[in-house]
Amino acid sequence: MTDRLRAISGQIIAVGVALLMGAIIILLVGESPVHVLMTLLRGAFGDQEKIAGTLLQTTPILICGVAACIGLRGGMFNVGIEGQLFLGGFAAAWVGFSFSLPAGIHTLAALALAVVAGAAWVAIPAYFRARYNTNEVVSTILSNYIAVLLTSYFTIFLFKRPGGWSETPPILATAYLPEIFSFSRLNWGLFIGLVLAVGAALIFRYTSWGYGVTMVGSAPKFAEYGGVNVKRQGFVVLLLSGAVGGLAGGVETLGVHHRFMEGFAPGFGFDGLIAALLANGSPVATIVTALFFGALRSGSLLLEVDTTASREIITVIQALIILSVSAQVLIKRRGDSQAGERRWKF
Amino acid sequence: MEILDKLINVALIAATLRTTAPILLVALGGSFTTKAGIFNIGLEGQMLARAFFAVIGSIWTGSAFAGVACGVAAALAFALAFAVLVVTFRANEVVVGLALNILAGGMTISLMKAIFGTRGSIVGHGIVGLPKVQIPGAQALLGSWAPLISGFTPIVYVAFLAVPLLVLFYNRTRLGLYIRVVGEKPEAAEALGISITRVRYIASLLCGLLAGLAGAHLSLGYITMFTENMSSGRGFMAVAILIFSNGDPLKVLAGCLLFGFADAFSLRLQTFGFPSYLVLTVPYVVALTALFALSYRARPKIIKETLASMQKLLSADRNSAQVDKNPQ
Repeated sequence: MTDRLRAISGQIIAVGVALLMGAIIILLVGESPVHVLMTLLRGAFGDQEKIAGTLLQTTPILICGVAACIGLRGGMFNVGIEGQLFLGGFAAAWVGFSFSLPAGIHTLAALALAVVAGAAWVAIPAYFRARYNTNEVVSTILSNYIAVLLTSYFTIFLFKRPGGWSETPPILATAYLPEIFSFSRLNWGLFIGLVLAVGAALIFRYTSWGYGVTMVGSAPKFAEYGGVNVKRQGFVVLLLSGAVGGLAGGVETLGVHHRFMEGFAPGFGFDGLIAALLANGSPVATIVTALFFGALRSGSLLLEVDTTASREIITVIQALIILSVSAQVLIKRRGDSQAGERRWKF
Repeated sequence: MEILDKLINVALIAATLRTTAPILLVALGGSFTTKAGIFNIGLEGQMLARAFFAVIGSIWTGSAFAGVACGVAAALAFALAFAVLVVTFRANEVVVGLALNILAGGMTISLMKAIFGTRGSIVGHGIVGLPKVQIPGAQALLGSWAPLISGFTPIVYVAFLAVPLLVLFYNRTRLGLYIRVVGEKPEAAEALGISITRVRYIASLLCGLLAGLAGAHLSLGYITMFTENMSSGRGFMAVAILIFSNGDPLKVLAGCLLFGFADAFSLRLQTFGFPSYLVLTVPYVVALTALFALSYRARPKIIKETLASMQKLLSADRNSAQVDKNPQ
């Protein structure tokens, strides 16, 4: 328990250091850090609509974060969540506008195809990673660019809404994810994210398969001697991670936009990965970090209106947080280099 | 045939050389870190930051070369941050690299808004581009083929000249040898008394130097402007090249020419009315295919090596068995 407390407090100190550096950068950009912070807080938690907005931003980050956690646990960096998100989003929209099915079933079918699309998109990099040890970081990053361009092509050349610009026709109401409140677009996607996070945590904790995944991630030799098929498991882990990434896109389409459009969810995949890294690969802790990043994103919308700073200042803060967290172990135990390396290898 | 003539001609080859230069510089820079055993995924963001600061430097000083110097200075700062975190703090290089990429993206946009009050791109404002070098006598010597060697910005020449220089550097200099030893057998380097930390710092900074030029080429070379995320994955393609070339300068050159050609060719296809979204995927598809194909090709070697080592083990077993038998 003291270990866990120390880990959490270290994480919080690192976030604090990063926020301090962020404050310096805000000063350099010519704004008052206090004003920016208050604006961020007001934008994220100012009233019930703002809070719902924060949760709305949290949802895709959380689902992408769970996707990243699954990969990280198994020792895989799925940096392609962004691409899986886009394809999943498009697949769900396609089911939503080209079929008519009973309510409920329509939603499930669309989400199912989103899952399949996400998994299929990561299948080739996953296969080569498992079989020939091709670096998955680079192959998934490159596939992101293709995914974004490909979905844009589908949207603009094949399925454009007549009279519209770079968006598909709207999906039928039967495929909507139900909204929770009347005053916000916040929808059941949030529950899907929470269930996924808790479910993933339970699987990693209580099933032998989950234990095997964690072992492959932290000690592959040990796992292999223990009888785990390391290659096949690496493939399955990346596929699952991609499936959840695709689901995130489906939820975003069915719950928020009700259509697919160019640039429909920019950066959620990367935010999810960062949230998972900050949570050290724990799906439950990802709920907290995703909420943190969701609040930053939601607050940054007001930032653009009320200050001269650009909303991208929050991505600077996010990057600083990750950098200082990745370095914090050594600040504490400089001599012990092994600890520093193990920290991020899961 | 006429279409083929229109698609493939001297202009296309010249365009290939132009598009190859930035990715070649980044990849050659990355070859230092690759050889020193560091996986540097942060090339993309470093290139972006450099392109931005090169533009800033060019506007402030009114000189393209001061702009390049400014970009290189920013590059070295990024490379130093990377080295401090990865080498001294031993943080995970993938995490640090990705975070630096995100930092570069956010920082350039934030600073652009703060300095110019705009979003999207910086055009005009008195950006001075790099001059083009006209080689005297090229026209007389090569006639219509002259664009192949003349009329590029100085950075293009630097990029291609760097290839043979790097070959010499790795094979003929002490530092080059040290970098290779540190990457391939750090234990041996340590036993020889080579400071792994110092060599990796030097490699990171050299990487920053070369890739800084690449960023400057993006924003001050053939178009004099800065756009959000204008490096558009070229840094990642360089990383892909580094993976399958193992940082060898000649193989890096071959890979970069392939991507440069894909890049130039896809721009050509666009003018022929192919949907731009599909055409733009071509360089990425080429990069991925090359990455997969070459890792597939590396497979027989792995199997052979495993077989060889198993045979060695077996024969060693037999020898030791014989040794066991002899005393009886």
